[in-house]
Amino acid sequence: MIKNRLAKVVFGSTFLATLMIPAIAIAEEAAEEAAEDWRVGVAKAVAAGAAMSFSALSAGYAQARIGAAGAGALAERPEVGTNIIVLQALPEIIVLLGFVIAFMIGAA
Amino acid sequence: MSATTPAQARRMGPSGRDYGYANARVRGMRSRLLSQAFFDELMTVHDIAAVIQHIMPTEYGPDVEGRILHGRNAAQIDEALKDNMVRTFRKVYAFSNDEARDLLTVLLGRWDLFNLKTIIRGKHLNLDAAEIIDSLITVGQLSSVDAEELARQQGVKGVVDTLATWGLPFAVPLRDALPGYNEASDLSLLELALDRYYYGWASARLASRRENARAARTFLGVQVDTMNLLTCLRLLNSNLEPSEAARFFVPGGLRVSESLFMELAAMSDVDEVFNRLKRTPYGRLLEDVAVKFIEKGSISVFERALEDFLFRRAYSTGKGDPLGIGVVISYLWAKANEVTNLRIVIKGVSVGMPADRMREELIVV
Repeated sequence: MIKNRLAKVVFGSTFLATLMIPAIAIAEEAAEEAAEDWRVGVAKAVAAGAAMSFSALSAGYAQARIGAAGAGALAERPEVGTNIIVLQALPEIIVLLGFVIAFMIGAA
Repeated sequence: MSATTPAQARRMGPSGRDYGYANARVRGMRSRLLSQAFFDELMTVHDIAAVIQHIMPTEYGPDVEGRILHGRNAAQIDEALKDNMVRTFRKVYAFSNDEARDLLTVLLGRWDLFNLKTIIRGKHLNLDAAEIIDSLITVGQLSSVDAEELARQQGVKGVVDTLATWGLPFAVPLRDALPGYNEASDLSLLELALDRYYYGWASARLASRRENARAARTFLGVQVDTMNLLTCLRLLNSNLEPSEAARFFVPGGLRVSESLFMELAAMSDVDEVFNRLKRTPYGRLLEDVAVKFIEKGSISVFERALEDFLFRRAYSTGKGDPLGIGVVISYLWAKANEVTNLRIVIKGVSVGMPADRMREELIVV
């Protein structure tokens, strides 16, 4: 009697274990995918941030140089003020391009 | 309100090696240089009143306005032009960055040298202090107050002693050459000592590998070359001993080395000099004015050609790096040239010189 019960428990356990193996594998796969999604998200954020910050720094450098030269030119020839403002604004395009690239990375 | 330290008060311009501000400003100032058409028109006027009328709307207007209160004559306009030049040079120096200031201190030392030589010449000839002061252009480190004080000293020894008291470096070569001068009363001894000292010091100060220092050194080298070449041409047929000729050589040149100088000084004919200099930029230059030299028979023809060459080199220095010292050098020399040309025209108009004769005297770059 006891032997029969033990055999039933072993059989039942083995049967259950056999049934659970694919379920565990499926769960592990799902967990890995979730982890991968998280890493991709972080990578996208870093890339977008880099695109934005480098373009902003570049534009800042360009504007600093143009600003210095523009101030010099304005000191001697105030009539070129409008041209200086246009030149001063040109590097903003670099920031805009950086923003667009960052947006595209985020949306991909 | 934050307190400004004396150091900050002294230095308000851009620091380091950023030429953006200074060069843009210099380019703005350059756009106000007078055109050839202005000079052509100015040469056609007949009196000083018309000259004043022409000059008033230009950059020189405020300086002329201040000076003509003392008299509407050529001498006062001449003073106004010098005032403007000094003011402009000091302005450029003030807004230049640290590196440009160092380089300009060296290059503008040329005017300190010029002023000291003028004072010493004046003292040698026992000229009145006012006459000497009229000839000074204090755009270098020597201020107008210092230069005037030197001009008021008694004799050459007084000038040298004052320089030594002030601790100025130019006192050293002058003190060394003074016994020789006292003995022979030969002014060239003092002038040569000053030249050798200044150009030696300037070459050493510009001995840096930085691009701007290299550009300044090249320009200084051309100045020394032109001076040495002129000395060589003056020494032709002088039959000097090589050791005696070597005494006149000024170091720091670009192409005219001491050996070439000795070789040229030993020559007896201008043609030989042309042949020897054929492969240098100076050969072509001297050859171009050879005919004029034969016609006039005066060494001043070469002097003028070398001066033109120097101004052209100064002008071309600005065509290189747009964010380098060349732009400033080019402008300052162009400004000095403009003032020289204006002084020629004004003097010409005041003595009734024909326009063609004045045009010959102008340096057009």
